[in-house]
Amino acid sequence: MIEVKGLRKTFTARGTVIRAVDDVSFQARDGEITGLLGPNGAGKTTTLRMLYTLMSPDAGRVLVDGLDPSERPDDVRRSLGVLPDARGVYKRLTARENIEYFGRLHGLHEPVMAERVERLVAALGMHEFIDRRTEGFSQGQRTKTAIARALVHDPRNVLLDEPTNSLDVMTTRSLRQFLRALKDEGRCVLFSSHIMQEVAALCDRIVVIAHGHVVARGTPDELRAQTGQHNLEDAFVQAIGSEEGLFA
Amino acid sequence: MSTWWTVLVKELLDAFRDRRMVITALVVMPLAVPLVIAGLSSVGTKRQEEKLAGMLELPVVGAEHAPNLVAWLGTHDVRVIDPPADPDAAVRRQEHEVILSIDPGYAEDWRAGRPADLELIFDSSRPLQTGTTAARVRGLLSGYAQQVGTLRLIARGIHPSVAAPIRLGERDVATPEARFDLGQQMLPYLLLLLAFIGGMQLAIDATAGERERQSLEPLLATPASREAIMSGKILATAAFTLLSVLVTLLMYRIVFAVTPAGQLDSSLAVPVDALGRLLLVILPVVLLGATVLTALAAFARSYREAQGYLPMLIFLPMLPTLYLMVAPVKTQLWMLAVPFLGQNQLILRILRGESVTAVEWAVNLGVGLVLVALVWWLAARLYHREQLAASS
Repeated sequence: MIEVKGLRKTFTARGTVIRAVDDVSFQARDGEITGLLGPNGAGKTTTLRMLYTLMSPDAGRVLVDGLDPSERPDDVRRSLGVLPDARGVYKRLTARENIEYFGRLHGLHEPVMAERVERLVAALGMHEFIDRRTEGFSQGQRTKTAIARALVHDPRNVLLDEPTNSLDVMTTRSLRQFLRALKDEGRCVLFSSHIMQEVAALCDRIVVIAHGHVVARGTPDELRAQTGQHNLEDAFVQAIGSEEGLFA
Repeated sequence: MSTWWTVLVKELLDAFRDRRMVITALVVMPLAVPLVIAGLSSVGTKRQEEKLAGMLELPVVGAEHAPNLVAWLGTHDVRVIDPPADPDAAVRRQEHEVILSIDPGYAEDWRAGRPADLELIFDSSRPLQTGTTAARVRGLLSGYAQQVGTLRLIARGIHPSVAAPIRLGERDVATPEARFDLGQQMLPYLLLLLAFIGGMQLAIDATAGERERQSLEPLLATPASREAIMSGKILATAAFTLLSVLVTLLMYRIVFAVTPAGQLDSSLAVPVDALGRLLLVILPVVLLGATVLTALAAFARSYREAQGYLPMLIFLPMLPTLYLMVAPVKTQLWMLAVPFLGQNQLILRILRGESVTAVEWAVNLGVGLVLVALVWWLAARLYHREQLAASS
């Protein structure tokens, strides 16, 4: 369960102040997939970074399972599985070594870890390349490795920043199934995307962000009702105020 | 298992699978250091011997004014040759190291018993190249002068000891290990340089490179503390560097062991029992280097920027060597507290076979480790900046 209230973050670049995130509030519940939808540069990545304690907000409050990241950053990071926008893997290590490294950093013991890795390998279909060095991996293989490494400690909450970016159709499809399985296990899944079809296909709840603000939120039905549009696509365009950057 | 250990093991595994890094640190550097010093030493030794013992070609201006002197020089391995047209310019152009000029009034002064004028032309701004030869010619001439003076005194019935109120003997207390030469000055510098920045590739790769390859952000999203992650990277860098230094010292031993005696200055060989003490002196420098490099890699916005700081770091260990060259002073306790200068002094003393007291060890190691702690603290602050991972 993730709660965000009045989150704000500004950057100063060469004298100009940029409000990347301005008064963002939403909830992501357990057993649901919540989508953070918005065009590139809307503030999705910055919002997620404040959730996983890489940045601290200028104002507002985050609660992860009732814990405040500014007070208990270690416990919050322990309860989160994070696939950041940056998903580089160590190219001289095998996929398994990459995943196990993160498992050890999470303090997992070897027998538990071996079992977790096997489960993730099965769930993500990584048998073919799990013991190969990641140098020369396809984008899909790298993303799967990064997801497995983010989830090796069996977190209650899963944050994914644009998880299907530059993946092929088959990998995207299997990734969607994987996210649904996480939801069915009762986890809180929060992911960001700038692709409307992606969000529409997966999410129980949608938070639409533009220019650092939340412009709409709710289930797909609620969004349609709020905007008075029958078609979800039209509802998004109505909410954001432009068609810019919303389509894959 | 603690976090820093996990990071240490991973970074070393990563490093040892990087063939280029392994070859540079464990093959190229360990071969380069002994070969540079052995090369310098053998060239230096040979040149000194040639200059002292070989036939010396000496241009003499006005040789016809002093046929006796010229003949005497000929019996002392000096071949007198014709002088160039402009002796001063020839010496300045380094065509000749030393030129002797005999005054036209030499014969007349000689016959009258007045001091006859000779002039030695050389360039004192090049002592390394010309110093030995100039000293040799000066020695020969004063030998000639003394010989003739003695004969003149005897001819006048005066005992030569009248003109020799003192007799100066010399006793050199230098141990064979303590003879100083260029190679010996280079060894501490090269060892300290290797210890200080030998881990640059690993350190920059582990922080700036990790960020550039987009794996730092997920790493920092784990519950592992940033201090522990950073310490693991620093210790991995230090361990790798220490291994590189150890292999270099061993290679150095091997080069000296397989080279035929006499070709190299044996005073440069590192005694086996000194290896442990050398590593102890070098350890704080290795830790300091690993910490400084990691701090720089965290401070720089890119891999390239981090590499840009390297020339400055190469210069640091050079300072004490330069200082000792212009002011070769007696070791004082405060010097051992100065980074690099202290280590330089201790390495020289260990190589010279001198003992180091417990107080001196304590000052040197203590100050070194305090400095490491300070830079570690600074690096940790840099590691906590938001820009570290989220720069894009």
